[in-house]
Amino acid sequence: MTPTPRIKRFSVIERLFHLSLMITFLLQTATGFSRLYITTAWGKKINAVFGGYDNSLLIHKWVGVVMMVGFVIHTVYLFTRINWRTPVKSVFGEDSLVPNIADLKHFGQRILWFFGLGSRPRFSRWTYWEKFDYWAVYWGLPLLAITGVMLMYPMVTSRFLPGWSLNIAALLHRAEAILAVTYIFIVHFFIGHLRPSSFPMNEAMFSGSVPLEEANEEKPAWVESLQNSGRLKMVSAAAPVLWYRVVYFVFGYAVLLFGVYLLINGIMYARQVGLH
Amino acid sequence: MAREPAVLRIFVILVALAAGAILLLPPPASAQEEVASAIRRYKEKEASTGYYEEYEVRPRRQRPFVEIPGVQVGLFPYSPSAAEVRVRTRLADSHMGIAFYTDKTCVACHPQEAKDIHTVRANLTCRQCHGGEPIASIQYFNSPMNPIRKHAYVCAKCHEGSSASFASYIIHEPAPGSMAALKSFPLLYIVYWFMTVLLVGTLAFFIPHSFLTGVRELFTRKKEAKNDADTTH
Repeated sequence: MTPTPRIKRFSVIERLFHLSLMITFLLQTATGFSRLYITTAWGKKINAVFGGYDNSLLIHKWVGVVMMVGFVIHTVYLFTRINWRTPVKSVFGEDSLVPNIADLKHFGQRILWFFGLGSRPRFSRWTYWEKFDYWAVYWGLPLLAITGVMLMYPMVTSRFLPGWSLNIAALLHRAEAILAVTYIFIVHFFIGHLRPSSFPMNEAMFSGSVPLEEANEEKPAWVESLQNSGRLKMVSAAAPVLWYRVVYFVFGYAVLLFGVYLLINGIMYARQVGLH
Repeated sequence: MAREPAVLRIFVILVALAAGAILLLPPPASAQEEVASAIRRYKEKEASTGYYEEYEVRPRRQRPFVEIPGVQVGLFPYSPSAAEVRVRTRLADSHMGIAFYTDKTCVACHPQEAKDIHTVRANLTCRQCHGGEPIASIQYFNSPMNPIRKHAYVCAKCHEGSSASFASYIIHEPAPGSMAALKSFPLLYIVYWFMTVLLVGTLAFFIPHSFLTGVRELFTRKKEAKNDADTTH
């Protein structure tokens, strides 16, 4: 039995970024919700897990600091990924996550494809919704970081801004957090786990590679450009070992279930928060 | 002969009226500081400069026909010296004259004021900030809630190092999406609706988008599986 050919999709460092984001994001959701829902029975329960109202804030702050550091490291990493000999082509090329005109075209084609009115758009390395996923986090993190730091140091903030900016910061922090949580736990989880081509789990972000056949079907323009530039051989990858697959399946499902648990309870208890 | 004293009399009356009109003008202020913003003023040297805004100093003599926003009695705007209207925001005892006041709880009349983070999360009681009886009106000069001393008299009880700018945090913020917020805190209103539209818009786009992806892939898979059985390549 010959192993099916696979191509590399995510490097080790990219997977580590994703893994650390998963863990920190989940911790932030749990500690943040435990405070947002402190007036409800459920909120008190998860708050107790983190050692109470003050302790959960302490954890929330430190995990936030870790996330901010991660964001800075990631941004530095982004700059190392640019090919500085051809920066424009590298940033706006088809290997890049920067949105371009083709994304709009693909979106139109995909709507037609949904209803069987056209053929599948020929996606390149990143589809437009994957780009949206990426940039949603990329602007959400600094927004949460800035408002979070404002709330972390209210006295310092009120030296530079009027005190009522803390009202705005608190609202923005909460609203952006709810936006991120609902998007990740509904849309991102559906794309990663539930849709037929991913079910039971899209392993690319953990194994780092995808079967060539699957890539050819989903992202034909990517495989084609790899072939044309002769890089296809260079990016071939080995299949993930079995124990590793078991580990990340268990981990992935644990995160999925925990996220859905937080989301459902969050929606159920939303009316009892007691704030405006 | 007879007209001259009449002209003189009219002249005297006009002069007297003009003199009286001068009395109606506001008295010259001893110091008129141009204030760029509350933040800048309060930043570090609020007290040491000796300059205060008008609401920070003792009320000057009442001027007739100077209206208080939103209060009108009869034909003329409210005049503190001429009318008996109680402006509750300026009283030493803001609850003066309310029937059965002692039998009431604060939230009986102020339900919206109990929905802020201080009350809901920190379990503060009203009196921990507003103090005992009589509770002074918010614009009463000697009130602890007067912006010139609120940060020191009220906020700093818990928030060590509280400044006047810090004290401008809106404790009883209006429901951010309400018309009350649009009126009293427009930026909060705008941010709220911006984020709400963003949230609803994102989900309204991506949930159907993902769902349709799922449905369409379901059909694609079945078709391809059949094709694979037919053709080998």
